Amino acid sequence: MTTWLRRVWYLLNRSRHERELVAEMRDHRAAMHDPSRFGDTHRLLERSRDAWGWNWLDDAMQDLAVGMRTFTRSPSFAITASLILSFGIGLNLTLFQMAHVGLLRPPALKNVESWVRLLRSAPGSTSSTVPYPLTQYVRTHSGGVLSAVILEHQSNIAWGRDAGQPVNAAFVSSNWFDEAGYGAEHGRVLSETLDVATGAPVVVVSHAFWRNHLGADPAVIGRIAYVDRKPVTIAGVASAAVPGLDYTVPDVFLPIEQRDQLYPQGRLLRSWDDEAVDMYARLAPGVTVASAREAMRAIMRAASAEHPQIRGDEWLEPLSASHNFMRAGERQGVLAVLSLLGALTTLVLIVAAANLGNLVMSRATGRVREFGVRMALGARRMRIVRQLVIESLPLVALGTLGSIGFAAAAAAAIALTAGFPPYLDFSIEWRTVMVALALSAVSLIVVGVMPAWKIAQQHLIDALKDGGHNLSRALDRTLMRRVMVAAQVAGSCLLLVVAGMMVRSVQRGVAASAGFDYQRAAVLSMPLGRYGMDTHAARAYWHAVKERVLANPDVESAAIVTAAPLGGRVNETSYQDTPGLRTLIQRVDPEYFATMRIPLLSGRTFAASDVNAVIISRRLALEMYGAEDVLGREFPRSTGQDTVIGVAADAHSIRVEANDVAELYRPLTVEDFSYVELVARARTDAARLPPIVREAAMQDPAVIPSARLMREDFDRRMQGPRLAGAIAGAIGMLTLALACLGIFGVVSYGVALRTKEIGIRVALGARRPALLRAIVQQVLTPVGAGAAMGVLLAIPIGIALRGEPFYLERDPVAFGSALLIFAAAAAAAALWPALKVLRRTPVDALRC
Amino acid sequence: MPKIAGLPPGTLILLILRVVRPGPLHGYAIAQRIRQLSSEQLSVEEGSLYPALQKALVHGWLKAEWTTSDTGREVRSYRITAKGLKQLETEQHDYQRMADAIAAILQST
Repeated sequence: MTTWLRRVWYLLNRSRHERELVAEMRDHRAAMHDPSRFGDTHRLLERSRDAWGWNWLDDAMQDLAVGMRTFTRSPSFAITASLILSFGIGLNLTLFQMAHVGLLRPPALKNVESWVRLLRSAPGSTSSTVPYPLTQYVRTHSGGVLSAVILEHQSNIAWGRDAGQPVNAAFVSSNWFDEAGYGAEHGRVLSETLDVATGAPVVVVSHAFWRNHLGADPAVIGRIAYVDRKPVTIAGVASAAVPGLDYTVPDVFLPIEQRDQLYPQGRLLRSWDDEAVDMYARLAPGVTVASAREAMRAIMRAASAEHPQIRGDEWLEPLSASHNFMRAGERQGVLAVLSLLGALTTLVLIVAAANLGNLVMSRATGRVREFGVRMALGARRMRIVRQLVIESLPLVALGTLGSIGFAAAAAAAIALTAGFPPYLDFSIEWRTVMVALALSAVSLIVVGVMPAWKIAQQHLIDALKDGGHNLSRALDRTLMRRVMVAAQVAGSCLLLVVAGMMVRSVQRGVAASAGFDYQRAAVLSMPLGRYGMDTHAARAYWHAVKERVLANPDVESAAIVTAAPLGGRVNETSYQDTPGLRTLIQRVDPEYFATMRIPLLSGRTFAASDVNAVIISRRLALEMYGAEDVLGREFPRSTGQDTVIGVAADAHSIRVEANDVAELYRPLTVEDFSYVELVARARTDAARLPPIVREAAMQDPAVIPSARLMREDFDRRMQGPRLAGAIAGAIGMLTLALACLGIFGVVSYGVALRTKEIGIRVALGARRPALLRAIVQQVLTPVGAGAAMGVLLAIPIGIALRGEPFYLERDPVAFGSALLIFAAAAAAAALWPALKVLRRTPVDALRC
Repeated sequence: MPKIAGLPPGTLILLILRVVRPGPLHGYAIAQRIRQLSSEQLSVEEGSLYPALQKALVHGWLKAEWTTSDTGREVRSYRITAKGLKQLETEQHDYQRMADAIAAILQST
């Protein structure tokens, strides 16, 4: 048994042990001729206890009891303090939990370490999707590098006999569930042996869809459902835990092998041009990502010999599931943004802890006499420090508990508001608890150790002479107090500015959307490729539909476009002439500008005869040519292949919240018609449009169109930024409140200590403004220094968060308004207690 | 001749270990033995035996056990352990060296 174990054993049996020792000593004494030579039993007992080394625990328990008592005696302080700490730690936990579950934790797949996503890559370009025949080619030629190929193609379908319900479907390879390691809640999942190309068409519905749209009825298994008006059998309900490979869990799963039965004329399963499916694979045991990459290069080279659509320098880039299928750069970007957000939430914790530290110090300065007495009786400094630290333990413990509750509630609320997929389980796990404990240890240092150390350093025994008055004043003026105030002010200023920038970025999104009129518009889409229509046939169909739409008196105008505002297929490029600017390319018909109410600043819209003509946005004109008057110039400036025929006003219709984008419009080509959309503008109310455009699209009864209101797209698009802005704003305001509480506390405590002096000065005729200045002076320097530091720090943070997903800008309005709000709040917090004491009559003050 | 007041620091444990080496003894008996063996020259405040005994227990040099005394009462007696024997040897050796060194200085001319 080691010494340590013996000590523990003693601790567990302490009362028995002590009883026996006392009895032993008593007997010894009784047996002596001269019991006075035995010594003082109490002292000896104390020394015997000392030998076991547990005295510190007794002291600690005593201090803890004192701490709990002070706690219950002033519940309002206890509650406020633990709330402040709950907020400070909880915010960090929320971020940690959300980042861990949502972004950093690999998807919950069977054998996840062997999963990769394969991106079609060539020097200088990457595509996340690949043609279906290529996946089959790779599967048969992988030569043992891949143990499975898993495919997914998400698209919209219409559900129900009347095709009335738009549903997000995933056409997946029938090994999807087996490879992912998920079974069925009811019925069965897709199966490689049952769901072959020639089998009877089946569908597996997601758990959420089954619950929300099929009445959670287990009897639906075996029933006939309709997918784009074709009958399919419901084979099963997938387990609720099924994750989305790309975050979205589809409503229904259909075997991609059976796609031809639904769309006999569709080309997806045969076309080498159609980059349509997301390709995942499982690497065979022992195959590394690097060796898989080389194998994919060889396979693609071989494929290029047989299929002209594949170039010899292409390869498939494997992205590991352990990194959430993120590219190295992407992952770094995510980690960078997360660390920055982490730094901001840590700042909140610093503000909260500094605030509490100040509060604790103010309370402790009221007890200097008590400490003086204890030191006079022989207590050592460390003992005083330990006492103060242990007294703040219950506070920190309660705050930590509260913070875990806060994080659980906040994560759940954010997940719900932001509409995160339900398989992401944000409930608290042991990792989060560990982080909570680590953060609470840090808080304990700021809240307990630092103030205690400062107090114990003073000449506490001297405090006995004047009732502790001088010492209280000395403590009140310590550097640490001022540093704590400055830290709070800096943190809250910085957060306010960042929150301001976030709110401004939302506003910018709203303002950008004012560049085009989405309120009265609706979008029609119909995947004509499914019905075997492309190029000329598709163009003829779309033109006929457009004519029918325009014939309706409720429709003011209509246009065909490759990417409707706020959605659609985005084509993005970056020109050498405009570094740092992303150019979004839309192919549009001549009526597009009128339909979306995008003004043409100069030039004209497209004509039927235009081939190499482009219309560029004002920003692109300014950045590429440095002027707005660019009609007839070559585009792009350095390698001119096209001619600028018009300049349109800026309308960030695709990426509304981005600040680094410009638009380029080209005329439609006949190839575009397999995936274009139609935007229509209502004369009065956009709500009337969807039935009108749907009706017009069903010229061929086989075609199943879908229509949506553009303002719904807008709301969906702004949901994320709005939520982020709201959260940032709330955090900014709460931190501001904390900082003001801190300033208020410091000023009112300073005033309380000097009430008598102020009374005398008033009685002697001092003027109030001068006195006010003298009182507030104490916080002026730390507040000023803190504010300056906060604002300065906000600049690099703004730069770092310039890109996705926040698009912050060093916006003077954000800086100015944040400073203004801060100054007003801080002034109120400082002046309130100062004015209150000045309003008292001098006699009153002197009586204190 | 007056008795020697007090013990050099640290030697009490050495003495305790030494007197319990032949066999287990209870507290009172330990004190008696020390007095007897020192020809009543060492006057120890007898109570201070107990903190020292606790220290020896913590380190595992002694083991306490309940036995019945000659008078038929339950008493706690202390038995030396293997670790205690080793400690005794070390302490005895150290003490001897120190005593020799001090003696050498005192006998120098």
